[in-house]
Amino acid sequence: MRAKAKLYPKEAARLLREKPGVREAVTGATLHFERNRLRAYGEVSIGAWRERAKAVKDHVLSHLDHYLELAERRLRENGVQVHWAETLEDAHRVLREVVQRHGVRRAVKAKSMLTEELGVNPLLESLGVEVYETDLGEYLIQLLGEPPSHIVGPAIHLSLEEIQRLFHERFGTPLDAPPEALAQVARKVLREAFLTAELGISGANFLVAETGTLALMENEGNIRLSTSLPKVHVAFVGIEKLLPRFQDLALFLPLTARAATGQRLATFVSLIQGPAREGEEGPEEVHVVLVDNGRTALLADPEAWETLRCLRCGACLNACPVYRQTGGHPYGYVYSGPIGAVLDPGLLSLEEAYPLPYASSLCGACLEACPVLIPIPKLLLTWRHRAVAEGLTPSWEKAAMKAFRKVMESPALYRLFSKALRGLPLPQDLLPLLRAWTEGRGPLKPSPKPFHELWKEVERGG
Amino acid sequence: MEARTRILARVRRALKERPKALLPEHPHTPLAEDPVDLLLRRLEENGAEAMKLPREEAKAFAQRLAEGLPGATFGKTLPQDLRPPLPELPPEEAPLGVSWALFAVAETGSVALSSEEGRRVHLLPPTHLVFVEAGRVYGSLLEALQDLQSLPSALGLHSGPSKSADIGQVMVKGVHGPGRLIVAVLL
Ligand code: SF4
Repeated sequence: MRAKAKLYPKEAARLLREKPGVREAVTGATLHFERNRLRAYGEVSIGAWRERAKAVKDHVLSHLDHYLELAERRLRENGVQVHWAETLEDAHRVLREVVQRHGVRRAVKAKSMLTEELGVNPLLESLGVEVYETDLGEYLIQLLGEPPSHIVGPAIHLSLEEIQRLFHERFGTPLDAPPEALAQVARKVLREAFLTAELGISGANFLVAETGTLALMENEGNIRLSTSLPKVHVAFVGIEKLLPRFQDLALFLPLTARAATGQRLATFVSLIQGPAREGEEGPEEVHVVLVDNGRTALLADPEAWETLRCLRCGACLNACPVYRQTGGHPYGYVYSGPIGAVLDPGLLSLEEAYPLPYASSLCGACLEACPVLIPIPKLLLTWRHRAVAEGLTPSWEKAAMKAFRKVMESPALYRLFSKALRGLPLPQDLLPLLRAWTEGRGPLKPSPKPFHELWKEVERGG
Repeated sequence: MEARTRILARVRRALKERPKALLPEHPHTPLAEDPVDLLLRRLEENGAEAMKLPREEAKAFAQRLAEGLPGATFGKTLPQDLRPPLPELPPEEAPLGVSWALFAVAETGSVALSSEEGRRVHLLPPTHLVFVEAGRVYGSLLEALQDLQSLPSALGLHSGPSKSADIGQVMVKGVHGPGRLIVAVLL
């Protein structure tokens, strides 16, 4: 996926102006996820769960070379073909070979952020393969030609009316068809695809080194179908997805489900050990592509390496008051919201993702939500410091910060300025700092009385 | 092989100075109630239908469920006596799939289905009836996973009917997998 993260502030403002319905849809959906998560966290000793999950992940990451080699060995013993992809191009090469060797015409895909990152769909299309996203939400946005706007609910920005209109135009369903009817239409189209596709593509929630097990979570059954029906299954797995022991799944599967949707466990969990055995149904070939694509660079980062613990549960998105206003699209890259803001500068470059660490009020809600305790607020500041140090911030901002400092350090200057601000009409279109603010927002209206005057009145018992 | 060597070398370089973190143990939390009862309750909370009954009654239940159906599809390890007397249909055409679970997990409300059973039977029919023996119901997922001796090529944990809220945040059942999951625990 091509990143457009640089445009974040403009895109966010444009979305809020032009598509006010998105804010309503995203806020509604994320608050719903958030309520479910809070209830689910409250049912268990969540503090201990999160500490333990963090410890397991830190252990894996600090022994990553060992566990990668172990996983590779186990996968091979299980009859899985293992590939290593340093870059997007490496990953594409593996997929191209599989497609050509098997003469693949049709592929079914299970929702996966990594395959978005790698641009798997455009590649397959360029090879003449018909690709079906099979997660219902993913299928909707594939029909619309849009990227996902949320890790767990890729289509949460769409209202029921928009989906009804889409299906009306595509499949001739009535404009007021209920969700059940629309889902049945999608089920029929995709069922046909499952039964005829030669290739199934997935990501993985976890890869267990001890047993070479791929673990995948979902609620619809499309992942089970995508990894069971086609004769070839290719799974793209980020190198950070490893777990040491099979029993670690007993913590990570329920924890991820609780964080993501508030469930005790995802409705369907697939634990895949390899291709079908003698006389069994299932794929004849299973490929695992271990993907780096910037992850080793993140691992080397003395601070941002902690983002590699991420389970992609989306809880930080749901908790974020900034993300809730727009959903994921304005962030301009697959990973949006708080995790995107700290992961994208590491995966892309700070220059390319520079505005994202600023897309936060630093309220700390993301850290409260995160099942593996990624210190997102701290990392937002880390990236901001680095942006300033690398001279990425605009020159007017530097000048403004300097002036602000001067004014704030002197009570006399402060009073003078605050009086001037209230007394004079604000030259909102002239000062660059104010212009940057008012672009896409209403004008600034200073309150008639400053805080220190109000405070004095309170002290006087007014 | 080149990519492999380079990735591993970069990982090692990145970790040179990093302190090694310890791997914690997972504590067992004993259940306060009978695992079968908890399983049934959790399954129902997950939107499944669940019951416990003696084998003879289970047979009768399967027969009643099968009444009026043109056929069904059966898991390979399903004992003969639990098969309702119906013609066997291919899974993509069958209105009912009947299967035999390897085990169940009470705390999550899940049945575990092995690929040795077949896979389509668990996924394609709109209704899925699963039998599991009471003695194979674990309290926790940890106990179940630690107890597994050998792993099939694919193990599926099913905890309820297939569902999605992707269309306008409205919960819809039976999106791709079975919209109806019925679990019968054999006493
Ligand atoms: S950063 Fe934490 S909360 Fe956000 S997606 Fe990753 S694991 Fe979930």
